[in-house]
Order: sequence, then C-alpha cells, then structure tokens
Amino acid sequence: MTPFRSAPAGYVARWEDVEREVLARVARDVAELVRAESGLEPGVEVGDGVAFTGVARVPQDPAVQRLLPDAHQDDADVATEFRHLTQTDLAAGKVARLLAFADAIDSPDELPDDPRSAAEVVVPRESAQEFAGALTDVRLVLAERLGMVDDADVEALHDDVLAGLDEDEDDETDDDAADDDVPDEYAGWERVGLSGRERRYWGGVFVAAGFAQESLVDEMLADLRAGRSEG
Amino acid sequence: MDGQTTTLAAADAGTEVEQESQADAATAVADPWVTIVWNDPVNLMSYVSYVFESYFGYSPAKAQQLMLQVHHDGRAVVSSGPRERMEVDVQAMHGFGLWATLRQSGASDGGVEGGAA
Repeated sequence: MTPFRSAPAGYVARWEDVEREVLARVARDVAELVRAESGLEPGVEVGDGVAFTGVARVPQDPAVQRLLPDAHQDDADVATEFRHLTQTDLAAGKVARLLAFADAIDSPDELPDDPRSAAEVVVPRESAQEFAGALTDVRLVLAERLGMVDDADVEALHDDVLAGLDEDEDDETDDDAADDDVPDEYAGWERVGLSGRERRYWGGVFVAAGFAQESLVDEMLADLRAGRSEG
Repeated sequence: MDGQTTTLAAADAGTEVEQESQADAATAVADPWVTIVWNDPVNLMSYVSYVFESYFGYSPAKAQQLMLQVHHDGRAVVSSGPRERMEVDVQAMHGFGLWATLRQSGASDGGVEGGAA
C-alpha cells in the first residue's frame, strides 16, 4: 500500500490485491451491520438521498452505537427525537458510501502492466469525502471489535502490528501456523478473547485503513486550503 | 508500508493553544444551543481538522485549536445557534464519524465554557 498522492484524476494510491479484497470485504460487512442494526429494511434503495420509511431503532451493537450515537448526553427525549428524525438518513448514507468504497477498491481503474505491482486506487476529488468517511466508519468498527477504548490501546496495537510485520517469517513455525491465517468473519468476534493472531490480523487491517486515510486526508486538506487561499 | 498514523488523541500535548475563539463560540452568540464534539482514540487529527475546516468553514488555525481542545479537554464546543441548526450540525458530525452531541449552552452539566479560564 502506497500513500495517496494528488494527481489530475484525483487521489491515487497503489494497493495490493489482498489489501483491496480485505478492506472491501470489511466495508461490506460493516454496511450490512449498520443496515441490520439501524432498522433499514433489506433491499431498500440507499443511494441518492432517497427518503425512506424505515423505523429507526437504537442499535444494540456497540460498534454501531458509536456510528449512530445518542445526540444528547442527559436528555433521553432529545436523543430519541433526534434519532427518530435523522438515523434512517444517516444510516443509509453510511451504507451507501461503504458499498461505494468497496466497489471502488474492488474494481481499480487500471490494472498494472506488471502483475506483481499493486493496482491503482483512484479516488476522484468529488467523492474523496465519502471515501474518507467510509474509512472512518470501518476504522471505528474495527477499533470497537479490537476493544480499543483509549489512546494507549491504539498505540499498543500500532506497536504490536508493526512489530508483527517483522516477525511474520518466524511465526510460520508457531503452533498455530497450520491454521488459515484469516479469520472467517470479523463479526464473530467476542469482545474479549481475541487470539493474538486475530488481534494482529485485524489490527493490521485497522492500521492499513488508518494509513490510507491519513495520506488521503492530508492531500484533501492541502487542496482545501489551496483552493481557499486562491479564492 | 509505514503504518504510523497520528490519531486525534495522540495530539502533541505541548502545543500552545489559543483559547479565545472557543469561548466565543459558546458565549458571544445569544442563541441557546451548542454542538459539542467529544474525544475518541480513533479519528485522525488531520481528519478532524478537515471536518472543521470543510464543514464549518473555520480557518486552519481555529480548526486546529478546536481539534486540540477536543483532545486536551475531552470535548469542545464547535458551533452554537438555534437548536434546529445544532441538530443539523450534530447530524453532519455523525455523518463524518465524529462523536457529537447538542445541548443548551446555559445548562450546567457540560462545563465546556469553563475551558477558556
């Protein structure tokens, strides 16, 4: 995975096949989770800001609670009213951009001439905010699944993941080396009791998503400020 | 790849912060509601700055000051005005993936305005 860089076509990075496949799969899983938890009915059209008739309900999954939080700390009536008025639109917007994100990275605009090199991911400027927002929602859900509640948790995960990158070859002889190195689905995690291998795997996805988002947002911020100083 | 990222919560504690404009947001406007953004360990500093600059139209300096206040104090008042407008702002923040709430600025439970002291 290379950092996003500003180019005429938009913001461009190169992602390995496995990076695109895993992030697309996680984004689709998060989209389905948001849809199910927020009360959106299956098959309802989520694009184009269409108003629909789903009945907002309070999400039970703590990860979705973070994506669709209470809007008032102390006044349950205000929070409930806000949720009733906004949650369906908010959830639909998140589902739509998560699916668009997955489709965009599933189908890179260009296949590399050299099959060993990573394919380009091109994010047009007009959709960059949605792309970055999808990365945020993916990272928030992964963080919740990884049990990260404060700064120290995130720093420790970062350190462990980066240290793990250097240990990968040694790990092949570990007792779990015969296992498939990819958990079947992240949604099956328990809040506690992740194996070290699972934690490192999903931690790696979290770190990669953060790396992509940080480089993308740096370029978006530079363009925003440049456009403003010109205007 | 270099996986090092800088999250909102990892903001440099040594950075000097101008505290004035955040007090403006809470007190200089007579309207009774405010939007509060809360700290979280996941969102990136740059992303939060981008949200404050692009959505609210704040200057880079003001956006950074608010972002750092979220980090240091755990929350910051990012806008104020009529309740209906604050609801729009909170919904937008949730859309961006920031944790935001609204409340009446005169309420004593938040204590956010005191942050300028």
